[in-house]
Amino acid sequence: MDIFVDSLVQIWDDGRDGIVALDGITHHFRSGKLTCLLGPSGCGKTTLAQIIGGIERATRGTIRIAMPHQPNSQSARPGECSVMMWQNLNLFPWRNVIDNVAFGPEMSGVSREKRYERARELIALVGLKHFENKNCSQLSGGMRQRVALARALIMDRPILLMDEPFAALDAQTKIVMQEELTRIFELTGKTILFVTHAIDEAILLGDEVVVMTARPGRIKEVINIDLPRPRSQELINSKEFGQYYERILHLIREEVLNAMQQQNEAAEG
Amino acid sequence: MAAFSKRSTKRDTLWLRVLPTASVLLFLVLWEAVVRLRGITPIVLPAPSSILDYLLTMILDGSIPYNLGVTFLRIVVGFLIAGSLGILVGILMGMSRVIARVLDPWIAALYPLPKISLIPLLIIWLGTGEIYIITISVVSAFFPVVISTYSGIRQADQNLVRAARDLGANARQIQMKVIVPAAIPSIFAGLQLGMGVTIILVVAAEMIGGSTQSGMGYLLIRYGQVMETEKVFAGLIVLAVFGAVIIKTQSYIERVVAPWAAGKD
Repeated sequence: MDIFVDSLVQIWDDGRDGIVALDGITHHFRSGKLTCLLGPSGCGKTTLAQIIGGIERATRGTIRIAMPHQPNSQSARPGECSVMMWQNLNLFPWRNVIDNVAFGPEMSGVSREKRYERARELIALVGLKHFENKNCSQLSGGMRQRVALARALIMDRPILLMDEPFAALDAQTKIVMQEELTRIFELTGKTILFVTHAIDEAILLGDEVVVMTARPGRIKEVINIDLPRPRSQELINSKEFGQYYERILHLIREEVLNAMQQQNEAAEG
Repeated sequence: MAAFSKRSTKRDTLWLRVLPTASVLLFLVLWEAVVRLRGITPIVLPAPSSILDYLLTMILDGSIPYNLGVTFLRIVVGFLIAGSLGILVGILMGMSRVIARVLDPWIAALYPLPKISLIPLLIIWLGTGEIYIITISVVSAFFPVVISTYSGIRQADQNLVRAARDLGANARQIQMKVIVPAAIPSIFAGLQLGMGVTIILVVAAEMIGGSTQSGMGYLLIRYGQVMETEKVFAGLIVLAVFGAVIIKTQSYIERVVAPWAAGKD
């Protein structure tokens, strides 16, 4: 699904003038591509993903979600065609693995037998076979991520929104999960919006990296990542990767310095 | 050297492990010795050995099993009524702002009132029979359960609610499948408090005004009045053990029903 975001503005009410979180975001997130939203913390990248996912409502601006090559088709409602994988996962602690994964179909009234069958397929896809009846609290961080991924995938939505899902993982597990996501992305051909603050992660995963400015969030630059797929972790040592890294680092450094200055000014004022 | 230090740690833990038992035994021995050596009269302080004698007699003649059984039944009935009413009202309050606003002043006013002070009024209204004992325990256990359930529902993790909505749950499903399960740890905390006061109030009601002439509270007050101190002590020991068993069983049931909530409330 293509996502056309046009002049999106988000202002949080703080009882005074309001805090501008997003200030005129216009971008076309291409269908079937993995786009990374990269920026310093507080730049509104999570907010943007949540507005596209219909979880938050924008103050102003429009979103069009449509099938590719059908420019006149009616737009889907935000959230209708997408599902979110949350930063803190939001697994239901009172449900075991399979009942977490099967939550969506259960809500739409799919019979137990059918939803378990589908849940088992997805649990196997994310590499958690034989863990169906484990409690989520018994799983490691990486395994919980896989449960959350399977729970999102079972919804069978063309758009997958991922809000820094790997930020809390240790370095090794993160590598494995990034490769897993790459594999699943290449397999399913979903449109993925991936929020991150890690430059290497953005280059490794993304077809396109949208670099955002510090508050108020604007799009600073859009960088196409022209690296061949399937990709793997070895790419990090390549010359092209290094060039992308340097370029994005330069952009991000400016923004982080900006953000720090803003915080200082706010503290002094 | 390593082996030596290992062995000594092991000895240390064993030593520490017998310490609680040793402490109790030492206390009992001292008690027994003081009573015998100073010749203290049993009406004031009976020796542990004679308390044990009386305890065994009362178990064998059936007076403790019968009265304990009666007290236990009253506690179960009071607790079940208070628990289910409390959970129901708590959930209704958590889900409807209207109901919450209507009930809030009543709960705020009645919760801090010591329930035992309602005994005279309840006796006027209900007499001194079974209904009175059950009612006083229900009235006191109801409040902690309602308050914990209500606050558990209000404090349900909004992130889980948003996640459920994103996965296609409607408002009703969010209430039943997310908010109520999320409140279970605090509902259990309320039930624990409720069980505590149920035990207290049933025994107190058996002592004060109860005309049924049965139950551990009745036993204690009657033997106290005739100064059979050994029997009073025996009754106290039974009640202490009984209370501990009930509380332990309750937390065991909670661990089985809601393992994710263990250690948190």
